Amino acid sequence: MTSFGGFQPVFCTIVPPHVLDKLAQNEDPRLADPARRTLQRDASARTRRHLAAVAGAAALTPRAGAEAGKPHRTIYDARNGTDLPGTKVRGEGDEPGSDATVNRAYTGLGATFELFLSAYRRDSIDGSGLALDATVHYDREYNNAFWDGEQMVFGDGDGEIFLDFTRSIDVIGHELAHGVTQYTANLTYYGQSGALNESLSDVFGSLVKQYSLGQSAAEADWLIGAELLAPRVTGKALRSMKEPGTAYDDDVLGKDPQPATMDDYVHTSRDNGGVHINSGIPNHAFYRAATVLGGNAWERAGQVWYDVLTGGELEQDARFTDFAALTVKAARERYGDGEELDAVSKAWEHVGVRTA
Amino acid sequence: MRIQVTRTGGFAGIERHAELDTAGRPDAAEWQALAERALAAGRGTPPAGVPDGFGYEITVDGTTVYAADPGLTEDQRALVSRVLKEGA
Repeated sequence: MTSFGGFQPVFCTIVPPHVLDKLAQNEDPRLADPARRTLQRDASARTRRHLAAVAGAAALTPRAGAEAGKPHRTIYDARNGTDLPGTKVRGEGDEPGSDATVNRAYTGLGATFELFLSAYRRDSIDGSGLALDATVHYDREYNNAFWDGEQMVFGDGDGEIFLDFTRSIDVIGHELAHGVTQYTANLTYYGQSGALNESLSDVFGSLVKQYSLGQSAAEADWLIGAELLAPRVTGKALRSMKEPGTAYDDDVLGKDPQPATMDDYVHTSRDNGGVHINSGIPNHAFYRAATVLGGNAWERAGQVWYDVLTGGELEQDARFTDFAALTVKAARERYGDGEELDAVSKAWEHVGVRTA
Repeated sequence: MRIQVTRTGGFAGIERHAELDTAGRPDAAEWQALAERALAAGRGTPPAGVPDGFGYEITVDGTTVYAADPGLTEDQRALVSRVLKEGA
């Protein structure tokens, strides 16, 4: 197999994006981080231009008569194409239609909006009632869902390995949480900051599921994408926050590569430096803190994580130790020297991440 | 012509690789034209992707280019879909 991260000789002409790309892969974060930030702004701008070109900027149009504290959802259907956002098929307040995928996306956006509003008094992903847009039926047999900087995009899955990506409400919450991160800490999507970005999406995605089902930390399954795996796949989900590395072990998919602690941290340049791999470590820390505290995970553990995400002190290039130290500080500021501080500190200790 | 595709990242973070050789195929000319168009639109280093988006590495007879969702050209999308589906 070819190495995705290993450097191929590059004979490109001297244009800034290529130079930035190269810098962004440098092991020295002083070189890599500013380059990646620039590239992300560039990618975001390209996305906006693309959207404006294909959709007449419809996705960016503020809704009329907007009401604070209410979601403003629009679901689009790509009809198995790749133009975004696609054809509008359900707007806010419209009755459910006959397409279960559209209805799941609409409901999932609503559940995510509800968690952030009820638990954290946050009005939509930007805190100011931003419209929530999602496109379903993207491409054909498309085994993925992503956040493109403006909206969520969901594939149908190929039916062989993955099913429709709207089936798991925590996946919908995960994608929207990328939007919350983009509007707050804006963690760089590479290496440890990228794994923190991913972990925050898993944390709040799982909390959306728990909140919508009324499950306590003890009752929750702490799985991500439990409803996505096709029947023939040997596994229970895509990720396990409770037991990272145990979600699947399958002939086609291989084995879940997630570590639970720093002892098994994976050094790789693939997957943006292992963002979906090493996220297992902060995921497990959150699971530990939430289950030791007990009760509803979105209340105390979730509040501390939310405080760090939105508090303004989390740097874009934060490492695990930076994030951990801020959660300890946030727990102390909000709850004093109590069991919350103890649970959060011990959770990071358990996964091998220093907090001071 | 030997065409290799590696797809990384994505929500699941699971890597996939497939390749095929156009030699002897009745549709070899069509494959070669598609591969050349996909290559011409590619970049020499991986572009910064979007959260959970797939990244692609396309190698045609030793020349490698990169692309990332959702920024693939129609030709690149057609090529990676076909190779991942029909390749081994």
